[in-house]
Amino acid sequence: MPTVVVMDVSLSMTRPVSVEGSEEYQRKHLAVHGLTMLFEHMATNYKLEFTALVVFSSLWELMVPFTRDYNTLQEALSNMDDYDKTCLESALLGVCNIVQQEWGAAIPCQVVLVTDGCLGIGRGSLRHSLATHNQRSESNRFPLPFPFPSKLYVMCMANLEELQSTDSLDCLERLIDLNNGEGQIFTIDGPLCLKNVQSMFGKLIDLAYTPFHAVLKCGHLTSDVQVFPRPEPFIIDEEIDPIPKAINTDLEIVGFVDIADISSPPVLSRHLVLPIALNREGDEVGPGITDDTEDENSANQIAGKIPNFCVLLHGSLKVEGMVAVVQLGPEWYGMLYSQADSKKKSNLMMSLFEPGPEPLPWLGKMAQLGPISDAKENPYGDDDNKSPFPLQPKNKRSYAQNVTVWIKPSGLQTDVQKILRNARKLPEKTQTFYKELNRLRKAALAFGFLDLLKGVADMLERECTLLPDTAHPDAAFQLTHAAQQLKVASTGASEYAAYDHNVAPLQTDFPSTGTERM
Amino acid sequence: MKIFSESHKTVFVVDHCPYMAESCRQHVEFDMLVKNRTQGIIPLAPISKSLWTCSVESSMEYCRIMYDIFPFKKLLMAALAAVGPPNPRADPECCSILHGLVAAVEALCKITEYQHEARTMLMENAERVGNRGRIICITNAKSDSHVRMLEDCVQETIHEHNKLAANSDHLMQIQKCELVLIHTYPVGEDSLVSDRPKKELSPVLTSEVHSVRAGRHLATKLNVLVQQHFDLASTTITNIPMKEEQHANTSANYDVELLHHKEAHVDFLKSGDNHVGGNSREGTFKETVTLKWCTPRTNSVELHYCTGAYRISPVDVNSRPSSCLTNFLLNGRSVLLEQPRKSGSKVISHMLSSHGGEIFLHVLSSSRSILEDPPSISEGCGGRVTDYRITDFGEFMRENRLTPFLEPRYKIDGSLEIPLERAKEQLEKHTRYWPMIISQTTIFNMQAVVPLASVIVKEAMTDEDVLNCQKTIYNLVDMERKNDPLPISTVGTRGKGPKRDEQYRIMWNELETLVRAHINNSDKHQRVLECLVACRSKPPEEEERKKRGRKREEKEDKSEKSGKDYEQDKPWQESERLKGLLDREKEELAEAEVIKDSPDSPEPPNKKPLITMDEMPVVEKAKGPMSLLSLWSNRINTANSRKHQEFIGRLNSVNNKAELYQHLKEENGMETTENGKTGRQ
Repeated sequence: MPTVVVMDVSLSMTRPVSVEGSEEYQRKHLAVHGLTMLFEHMATNYKLEFTALVVFSSLWELMVPFTRDYNTLQEALSNMDDYDKTCLESALLGVCNIVQQEWGAAIPCQVVLVTDGCLGIGRGSLRHSLATHNQRSESNRFPLPFPFPSKLYVMCMANLEELQSTDSLDCLERLIDLNNGEGQIFTIDGPLCLKNVQSMFGKLIDLAYTPFHAVLKCGHLTSDVQVFPRPEPFIIDEEIDPIPKAINTDLEIVGFVDIADISSPPVLSRHLVLPIALNREGDEVGPGITDDTEDENSANQIAGKIPNFCVLLHGSLKVEGMVAVVQLGPEWYGMLYSQADSKKKSNLMMSLFEPGPEPLPWLGKMAQLGPISDAKENPYGDDDNKSPFPLQPKNKRSYAQNVTVWIKPSGLQTDVQKILRNARKLPEKTQTFYKELNRLRKAALAFGFLDLLKGVADMLERECTLLPDTAHPDAAFQLTHAAQQLKVASTGASEYAAYDHNVAPLQTDFPSTGTERM
Repeated sequence: MKIFSESHKTVFVVDHCPYMAESCRQHVEFDMLVKNRTQGIIPLAPISKSLWTCSVESSMEYCRIMYDIFPFKKLLMAALAAVGPPNPRADPECCSILHGLVAAVEALCKITEYQHEARTMLMENAERVGNRGRIICITNAKSDSHVRMLEDCVQETIHEHNKLAANSDHLMQIQKCELVLIHTYPVGEDSLVSDRPKKELSPVLTSEVHSVRAGRHLATKLNVLVQQHFDLASTTITNIPMKEEQHANTSANYDVELLHHKEAHVDFLKSGDNHVGGNSREGTFKETVTLKWCTPRTNSVELHYCTGAYRISPVDVNSRPSSCLTNFLLNGRSVLLEQPRKSGSKVISHMLSSHGGEIFLHVLSSSRSILEDPPSISEGCGGRVTDYRITDFGEFMRENRLTPFLEPRYKIDGSLEIPLERAKEQLEKHTRYWPMIISQTTIFNMQAVVPLASVIVKEAMTDEDVLNCQKTIYNLVDMERKNDPLPISTVGTRGKGPKRDEQYRIMWNELETLVRAHINNSDKHQRVLECLVACRSKPPEEEERKKRGRKREEKEDKSEKSGKDYEQDKPWQESERLKGLLDREKEELAEAEVIKDSPDSPEPPNKKPLITMDEMPVVEKAKGPMSLLSLWSNRINTANSRKHQEFIGRLNSVNNKAELYQHLKEENGMETTENGKTGRQ
């Protein structure tokens, strides 16, 4: 989940804060202090997160495009100037554009808005934006809710009392509501000082930037892993019991499936599975997580030399072209596979399927998947030349069977032509002729299209008169018989008109490949 | 879409009154004459469908599309086929559409299987399961007031039936009903009924009126409605290369329009990306997104990052381009689709693929990945280890592949067996002893152990399996007697490896660990262990004694320490460590073919050094299965040895050779070194 930090650099952010000691602090400094703490945390514990920095006043500017280089972000914090008034709407619109340009509309993003709770005056102020919210057309719609899945975290360089003394808090709450409730407002507890800012950002880190640790298990083979980005709880869109589901911290492999069988399944999200070495304090040594200090380098090297199940699993999945099916929770599954970033680099990846008992129709119900050793004979064949997948659906879809649709005249014409073509090749094509005839007859009866039956009967009679001298005598008999049967059906009178009745070929005594002619 | 929305139940009510037998007044040519046979023949007169035929086939088309895209959880009532066409001479009163509408309401009150399931699951919260439905009524109304009469009828019927349902366990009250009234009339006539958008008639009932000409206009209308009712969208695949029927060696490009859930277009909708689609055909309401057929095709072993997969239904199912495309896909091939862009950059956004006779439109992620440039797995934990048993684990994965068990199976106690739980149990068994790297194991590098290792992990063994295990053990005993070399890894060791007898002890120990991990599976597993314990080289006491003897000659403290570890019969990891620490003899790796995964192993040298020869006789004596004689004499010897004090020389001997006049050396040493701490040479 990429992060956009949106920093308020309006004049109000330069308001001084009374802090004990000689140095004079502005709110801006508190904000920088908090963000520094956030960036430091990410640089050590959440290194793969892409972060961008936007500053805004009445205008907005992308100071740092999405990067994993936290030094650059840190430097940018110290190079911020002070500008005029707060104009939140245009800044949020800017965030919309930046995120969509970089990631499209499908990737969830976290927006960290840092402001002092002074929401501007006049046009472009949040109050003005909210007041005019209902009078907007599609062309100038308010940027919230963001067009991508998002969380909006508002970090206020003010305490609750201050915000409540004006309508600022209400406005900010409206803002979260407009984002479909996705987000949260943080305020400083107690007096404005470095310590309290730290504890406010600490809460944000706990909420949104703690790495997700789990244990990957395959029977007795296990590995401690970090899953990045953090899998977010999923809410099933259903009217019965919409409870958010979170994934287990035990990721249990239940079996394996060939890539060709799992066949590019739809997934909710993708995550890197990075093996980590946990020591007793719970600190970790792993990729993308540690600083480049020498001590930790050597710790890394030691960890690199201890056999790890993830590496073994990754290697075999890659070589065999398989995926591991992993259980994430009750009725929730995913898959592990090797993902190559380039020719040299590849990684163990985990994709989450949609929660439910049957996420992929072609695998069937997940609970019904069992070990091949329980089957009477190996469903993959002795030479690995077949597969039990994909599962066939109970009923064929319309395009997989020979359905009759006559809405366009061409559909009807094709079906009539087929009968005619076979009629001219009687008696060799007797079987196909009657098959097509019966199909047409059934459809005509079902649609109540009796005129067609009469029409086709007339046509067959005409064909009979047009038969060449060389024609087999059986042809004439069959055509006459078929025409008569269709006529009977079109009157709807006798038992031969019933829908379930099938027209059978006329029994004749001619030798099938008759050379004798009468 | 919520499961129990209005779309959960749809009832079609098609008017069967005499007027519906009226012609729709659109002619269909059905007698298409083929070239070169046309001379002198006048084609038969075109025919035309009745209003009834048009209504039925349009309804069927609605159902066809819906069933293609939602095979589950959406139900329809359509028992049209057996009804037959209306009789124009019948009494209009007795086949009034009102009966049909009443029957439709009745049907909506009935609990569906899905609703029943959901209610049973929720128990006391059963009332949370909704009951909504839709009635699509195709009729020929006389006037707007006739339409109102029909609406009132439905309204009243719902009211009455809800009262009934309130007191019944088998019926549910209708919470919401959507009435879609379609007035249809022959082409060329004026409509007596006006269109009306959706209007709420009561909290329970909404109604809308569509006035449509019959024939293809009606079909188009129902096509639009099915899209609205089921949140569908349209995609047109363009540039499909297709062989010409007449000229097999040329190909032309065709377009095929597909319907699917509109979620498949979510990226376009959200980003307001209008450069794709906007292609309107057959009226202004129809929007379709155009995607281009993309070559080269993708192969099935590629795993695409796919964010959604939606069932499709071709709009024109029987047309040649449609059936060519669907047959191509049903034969198991997949097609990538790209967005046509002016800039010329190629963005692949979708893929068409069939799975078991069903075609899905896959949405592929085309945006930048947030996981780009991750640290390679070789840079992380365990990344520096190079001798993972990759091939063996591949074999393990293939043995632990999954397969569907559609028939319910039961355990011995009669409870339902969940196949997935069986799969987990099997993984548990197969991993009880599974060293991850080649240098951690001896037995898994030996072809000779395979027959035992492959069956011992089984839940239950046959007598034949047991026999095979025993044969394997005898075979190993035989190898030991012949003093065959073992594939003990030299990774991370310096100098000499462990001696041959030591190697065999490591091997036997490892094998015992493997077998012991499974003895609780069954009695037969127990029998394998008994056989192994009886056959393996030496009883522990004797080993102990031999060890003590050897300790003196070992110069390195390390090996002494690990030797102790070994004797204490520590878990297998400990004995692995022993192997890692002991120096090894390279020549012991002679039989390279038994090492499966290590092409880097050193070449076996041609000559064996003499040192090993010295030990041969001693080793030989102790190897192999115990004979009764040796058991007996061991016992006697042990008993006898307690009765007298052993000669110091023999106690301190190495390979039964005692060094004489040791004290002289010690005295000499005293002269040269103050503390007298000299070892033997």
